Amino acid sequence: MALIETQNLSKEYSSRFSKQKVNALNDFTFTVNKGEIFGLLGPNGAGKTTLIKILLAITFPTRGTAKIFGTEVKSHKWKNKVGYLPENHRFPNYLTGEQVLDYYGRLSGLKSDTSLKKKIDEYLETMGLSQWNKTKIKKYSKGMMQKLGLAQSMLSDPELIFLDEPTDGVDPIGRKEIRDILTNLRSKGKTIFLNSHLLSEVEMICDRVAILNKGDLIKEGNVDDLTRSENIFEIHTIDPISLDLKQQILNIDGNAGIGETEIHTELGVQIVNNIIDLLRSNKIGIKGVSQRSSTLEELFINVIKQDNVA
Amino acid sequence: MLTIIKNTFREALAKKIFIGYYIFYAIVVLFMLFIVNLDAVEGVISLADVKQTVHMVEKGFLDLAWALILFFSLISTASFIPSMLEKGTIDLLISKPISRMTILLSKYLGAVLFMFLSMVFLLGSIWIILSAKSGYWDVQFLWTIPFITLTFAIMYSIVVFIGLTTQSTIISILVNFFLIFVLCPILSIREGMIFTFVQNTAVQFVFNFFYWILPKPGEIKDIAASLFMDKKINFWATSINLEAAEFTASWMSLITSLLFAAVLLSYSIYYFSKKDY
Repeated sequence: MALIETQNLSKEYSSRFSKQKVNALNDFTFTVNKGEIFGLLGPNGAGKTTLIKILLAITFPTRGTAKIFGTEVKSHKWKNKVGYLPENHRFPNYLTGEQVLDYYGRLSGLKSDTSLKKKIDEYLETMGLSQWNKTKIKKYSKGMMQKLGLAQSMLSDPELIFLDEPTDGVDPIGRKEIRDILTNLRSKGKTIFLNSHLLSEVEMICDRVAILNKGDLIKEGNVDDLTRSENIFEIHTIDPISLDLKQQILNIDGNAGIGETEIHTELGVQIVNNIIDLLRSNKIGIKGVSQRSSTLEELFINVIKQDNVA
Repeated sequence: MLTIIKNTFREALAKKIFIGYYIFYAIVVLFMLFIVNLDAVEGVISLADVKQTVHMVEKGFLDLAWALILFFSLISTASFIPSMLEKGTIDLLISKPISRMTILLSKYLGAVLFMFLSMVFLLGSIWIILSAKSGYWDVQFLWTIPFITLTFAIMYSIVVFIGLTTQSTIISILVNFFLIFVLCPILSIREGMIFTFVQNTAVQFVFNFFYWILPKPGEIKDIAASLFMDKKINFWATSINLEAAEFTASWMSLITSLLFAAVLLSYSIYYFSKKDY
């Protein structure tokens, strides 16, 4: 079931003092399904935050439609089912941690009663901020603010949570804790829309990702499929490869990396088969063939480079 | 709405300028207490017509304090809108299940309510001191509380509009002060003074046009003063009797000022609802 759906979503920004227009998003069409962690990737200025802001009706699209829970995003009624942690959020610094959660909890539609107080205590405990609950947040560190922001986004028990750089400024232990919290939320059937620069993190927890560049959606799919589609093969031989044979292998794949008993190719299964045929015809024993998937980071860099060249 | 209003109060109390604001009010109240206890003043009160003397003191206080109250209150609340619009704050507010109209109106009402309570404290204290000392409990003087609050509410609509469009606290303060202390006083003396020298009908039309569309903070203060001094108030236009040195306020000054605020606030809500953040 699709929780988020967009059709040809476009956003143009025009400067107040010039006629020049900047396309922040171009005909963006995608869906996010219930219960998945969806990662949005892209270099700075790719349109990631613009997309989140359009989905939350903070910014309005120039063209196209966006629906959340099957409702046009222009309405604000569905927002009680959504949590949001903006990038570089600023909470009123005259409030304590407890007051911040109380304030945003009430704005999210929670009734001010003992259950809200109990929830606030629970989330502060989960985030390790219990002992700071009565401290003004202007004394909080960046990591503490980020954890408080995450608690704020989850407080109303939303079905869909938008997180824009949730681990920004958080130490590795804190990041691990946040990953565990997000995985736990997925197991409860919550949907998470994650925008993060930390690709390794996205790879670890996201089910699906979309890669944006200059406002265009250039890649979208399951993380495993995307990283597997860029296959790298390594062939290990028993016998050493002669110079003549190396030249013949290079005729098949000019970019192949060839060692004493190892061949590295990135051109897919057909080329691997051709090389194996060549090795066998030259009576070279094969110890094994391994397939290495590229990391999400490698995939990201490759597709962005290709898109920039195109 | 109540949550945002409550938070606006917290924001106000967290600002150091508000502490100064209340210290200033407390000093004014203590000064008043000191003045009415002076032997000379006690003598005057016992000799003169108590009612007339109290009215004079109240009028004098209003004339002096009105400008200072507006000055301090606008300076201390002008940052509410620009600070709400800061990146990372406004995104989060709009992402909540509240309409943009509710967000803006709550912020506006929070500031106006804060001003109202400040006036209850300041003018209420002055009233109690004067009444207790003179024995004349001039309840009509309490009209100044809603009227000064109304003046603030009207002028604050300009702060909201400029805060929204420019996100600048300084510009909204400067525009407000220019209107309150320069343009509006000039426009209000157009008939009694300026038109004596300027007889060109086109120029007079421009003066009249701006007089009627812009707020009239000075005239609203005059309505409040007329109410507690039992003076006549015209409906349509103010009038000046130069020979008797008498000025008559008009209800239309208040009505047109309220209309100005309503139009400006409505446009601000429309602008805020359509704006990308």
